Amino acid sequence: MNTLAFLLTQIVNALSQSALLFFLGVGLTLIFGLMRIVNFAHGALYMLGAFVGYSLTKWSGNYWVALAVAPVVVGLFGAAFEFAILRRLYRRDAHAFLMVTFGLALVVGEAVRLTWGPDALQVPAPDLLAGVMFILDEPFPLYRLFLVATGVIVAVAIWQFLERARLGLLIRATSQNADMASALGVDVKRVRSAVFGIGCGLAALGGVLAAPLVTASNGMAATVIIDAFVIVIIGGMGSFLGSLIGALLVGFVQVFGNYYLPDLALAFMYLVMLAILMVRPGGLLGKEA
Amino acid sequence: MSAGLRALLVAVVVVLAAAPFGLPPFAMTLLTEALILGLFAMSLDLMFGYTRLVSFGHAAAYGLGAYACGFMLLHTDMPLLFVVFGAALLTGIVAIGVGWICTLATGVSFSMLTLAFAQLLYAISFKWTSVTGGSDGLAGIPRTAGPFGFDALTSKTGFYYLVLACLVGAFLVCFALVRSPFGAVLRGIRENEAKTIALGYNTRLYKIAVVAVAYALGGLAGALYAPFAGFANTELLFWLLSGQVLIMVIVGGSGTLVGPILGAAFFMLMEHQLSSWTEAWALYFGLIFIAFVLFAPQGIWGVATAWLQRSRNPTRAS
Repeated sequence: MNTLAFLLTQIVNALSQSALLFFLGVGLTLIFGLMRIVNFAHGALYMLGAFVGYSLTKWSGNYWVALAVAPVVVGLFGAAFEFAILRRLYRRDAHAFLMVTFGLALVVGEAVRLTWGPDALQVPAPDLLAGVMFILDEPFPLYRLFLVATGVIVAVAIWQFLERARLGLLIRATSQNADMASALGVDVKRVRSAVFGIGCGLAALGGVLAAPLVTASNGMAATVIIDAFVIVIIGGMGSFLGSLIGALLVGFVQVFGNYYLPDLALAFMYLVMLAILMVRPGGLLGKEA
Repeated sequence: MSAGLRALLVAVVVVLAAAPFGLPPFAMTLLTEALILGLFAMSLDLMFGYTRLVSFGHAAAYGLGAYACGFMLLHTDMPLLFVVFGAALLTGIVAIGVGWICTLATGVSFSMLTLAFAQLLYAISFKWTSVTGGSDGLAGIPRTAGPFGFDALTSKTGFYYLVLACLVGAFLVCFALVRSPFGAVLRGIRENEAKTIALGYNTRLYKIAVVAVAYALGGLAGALYAPFAGFANTELLFWLLSGQVLIMVIVGGSGTLVGPILGAAFFMLMEHQLSSWTEAWALYFGLIFIAFVLFAPQGIWGVATAWLQRSRNPTRAS
């Protein structure tokens, strides 16, 4: 295997990893930017997405149905949770959210285990994406290339949504100054419900997309939530561009670190995060300390 | 703290001291673990309840104490009694560095930095196999006797008394601490840090100090856990434990010292009872926890003391 081809393989791996991480990180950061909530249940919702995706694939026999429907289901669940529980807490300390969402993570994690059982479940990739593609005589799994493409599409879509759509405008206004937005007639409560739902839906999208690659398992929530936190913290809480940079950084550190320094890869990620926070306590693109 | 409450606490300690004579060995094991977790939760209360430093990585203290204690017991002949306190001291010293870095940030960033530190230790515990045993952890940790042939602590009952003594001692230290001028500054930081700085206090120094004390006591709890369970593994450094200990503090009642101990006992009881009734104990536990945050943010101890005061002075509300 020549060096260039090898490097290319690793870069595609890192980019597809970054794409999966981005779906988590961007939802987390949107929610934080708007509501000052650290959503501890994000990993559990990502897992829920993967399992719902499994059932939908099995029921409909079509992965694309699962990909389209599972994020909507989980997103609606998230919006309902915001409506029923989180809404009561906006006057309270920020840590009340941390704890309620931690409770939600426990509940969702356990509910998933009871519903789908303790075993990892295989979600087959659609036939269209099951093969490999040869670049420089190196085989690339099509599915990874698909992930990279999806990541780019979703990133551009969210960016355009925030810049151009009316709801995107309201989200940006509310995250800058909720009181002022409310005084100008924005229904802040509904914006919050919508953003929490969208964030949860994005996490679920990441889960459905990850499922054919890593199987849907009970353990997937616990590891991924910390990665998502690292991304958001590195990028700066509440910054869309920051979550993109954070996801790329973490994806590349994980893939290349695992290859060159397998013993230190995990620790290296946290060291990068500590170093960034020591220089910029608010993260790379964060506003506040 | 009123005289009535003080008498109640003394009575509780007396009952706990008499427990080995009345309880079966199985219940004693649960009780010992509950007291260790109580010590752990109380140590976090210094940071969370009194200073509003929300640590999301307190498992770092517990795991560090447990690994340090386990390593020394396995690889040296030093007696348990010294090793436990040595491990706690070591954790406290490490915490000065942790506190120094984490207090660069405030609010959510502080929480995330403490989490990052705990995860860093978690990652190290997996890879530094020669010291930590990797994913297997340290197993077969002995309760070494000594010094001078003093072997009361090697038995389960003797060890229980050591745990009880540590908890009572740590409680007295914390109680004195929060009532001292030092504790007043901590509460000042909790209520309004900017104002406390304006009054001339170097709040960062106080925060580092309270982090060091909280970690040392958390490390003591971990150091007791290792010889109690006979093992130390990576779970003790995992973020799930950090979340659980926060739950214990909140459910018990933060900023009260006694509350978190009750919270830890409640957590143990719930885990044990619910898991014997139903397989889905974590589901119900999560729901109970959400209900606490929503409807009783002052926790078990807060609700209990408020209720006691109201029943005693029905005319004076509050």
